[in-house]
Amino acid sequence: MDQKIGDVSMIRTTNKKIGDSMITFLTYILCIVWVFPIYYMVLTSFKTEESAIPPSLFIHKFTLDNYTIIFDKTIFYHITNSVSVTVISVLLCLAIGLLAAYRIVFGKMKNPTNLYFWFISTQLLPPCAVLVPAFLIMNWMNLLDTRTGLILLYVGIHTPLIIWMVTSFFKDIPIEILEAADIDGCSKWSAFFKIIFPLSKSGIVSSALLTFVFIWNEFFFAVNLTAVKANTLPVYMASFMTQEGLFWAKLSAISTITILIPAIFGIISQKALVKGLTMGAVKG
Amino acid sequence: MKLKMNSLLSLPAVIIVGIVTQILFLATIFLSFIKWIVIRPDLGKFFVGLKNYKWVFTNQETYKIIGNTILMTALPLILCLILGFCFALLLDRKFPLQNICRTFILIPFFMTDAVIGIIWKTLLLHPSFGIAGYISQMFNSVPIDFFGKHAFISIIILIVWQWTPFFVLIILAGLQGIDLEIIESAMIDGASSIRILFQIKIPALRYHIQVVVMLGTIFILKVFGLIYVTTRGGPGVATTNLPYQVFKISYYKWDIGQATSYATIMVAMSLIVIMFMFNFIQKWIKRLEM
Repeated sequence: MDQKIGDVSMIRTTNKKIGDSMITFLTYILCIVWVFPIYYMVLTSFKTEESAIPPSLFIHKFTLDNYTIIFDKTIFYHITNSVSVTVISVLLCLAIGLLAAYRIVFGKMKNPTNLYFWFISTQLLPPCAVLVPAFLIMNWMNLLDTRTGLILLYVGIHTPLIIWMVTSFFKDIPIEILEAADIDGCSKWSAFFKIIFPLSKSGIVSSALLTFVFIWNEFFFAVNLTAVKANTLPVYMASFMTQEGLFWAKLSAISTITILIPAIFGIISQKALVKGLTMGAVKG
Repeated sequence: MKLKMNSLLSLPAVIIVGIVTQILFLATIFLSFIKWIVIRPDLGKFFVGLKNYKWVFTNQETYKIIGNTILMTALPLILCLILGFCFALLLDRKFPLQNICRTFILIPFFMTDAVIGIIWKTLLLHPSFGIAGYISQMFNSVPIDFFGKHAFISIIILIVWQWTPFFVLIILAGLQGIDLEIIESAMIDGASSIRILFQIKIPALRYHIQVVVMLGTIFILKVFGLIYVTTRGGPGVATTNLPYQVFKISYYKWDIGQATSYATIMVAMSLIVIMFMFNFIQKWIKRLEM
């Protein structure tokens, strides 16, 4: 009798193990299907132009030519544009966003949540709602097709994102620490630089990386408010396709370069994204 | 105790965010009452009241475009939620290479619209030289013309591919926060895994679902880049949504009044959609908590 029960439970556990490994196998297949477009893009970027079409899943002749050919003056120019616009915007967003978040979380205010929700609510606005006046004003101020113009817009649009995320990290800091600092006669600036900033450094860095990803990838304003001089990489990509026709290996190489930095930054900062976005709405 | 702080600390942020998002939007509303065609300076600029809106609402295209905007948000939202749940449940287990799988799923979210649109249009779905064309040649069937005849579905596929990772990210975080003891005790009581999913996991995730659906709605309503690099709103207006229409009227007709009317309608519509979704989810949460 006991022997039988043992058999049944053994069959059950082996069944469960088989089921488990089948689910794992299914997960692998789905992940491979999901990532296939990216795999195929990177693969094509290492093929010669002649072997890129017709499609094949393997490289017959590995080459780095596509990368050496596209790395000319033009692409460097657009990479410089993208990097400078994104980095300067992120730094400005951080500078003004951190101060605002600092006041919202630690400052004496009548209704700190009002200001906080006002910032968040600005994210509801679709970019197309401000396109025409932005165009007219930038035209009037000679800012069309300049990096400065793009940076100003990006700072206005992405600062709330920084505030949203950083607030969630500031709220982890117990307010008692500040009380102790206050008794010791610490000013609000040194409290910020000596206590708050070091304690939430990793959260701030992740928020900055994430904002970097969003600004780097921004397409709507970049395509509508720049022409030749201030084109960022995504905009250059879009025009490259129409100009160059069927040079798919080179197209893939440029695409790979365009997504490389944001993909790395995004993967590093994904945890901060979840924390920042779910705080407030999800308790805990 | 909180610190005494000068309101100057938050002033720079309030000013620049206020100018870019509020003042410029007020300017949009103001411009929507004006007749002004930039490339026809001879016609001048003058106040026309509601005439732009009258033109917009008598134009049959407008209704099609509003419908497109809603469908292009609703369909991906439903698909992303289902797919996101499936992936999150699959990833919420212990298995080898877990982190790599997770990363694979997440990457599309961090890619720019331009790259997504271009690689799908050329490398993958091109009827003669893409993988899709190659497969149909293998089966000797007529290649599917994805961005021509089936443009709308193709755009939906692209949006789903781009946004599902975001849903996976948030739902997975929720799943990992569920107390394991509750699930174990339910399993000991003999509850099936489907019952555990519907009666324990989904209710426990209600706030995560709220966040992901609301943010998903807000983000997907704004879709522009994918359309711009693939279909250009065509054929006809089959894949034109309101953001694309604003761009088209601004840069092809240079009609400031009509473009800003569409932009104002877009804002009104997004607010309605967002309110509707919010109420809908709130009701669902209340029913769960009863």
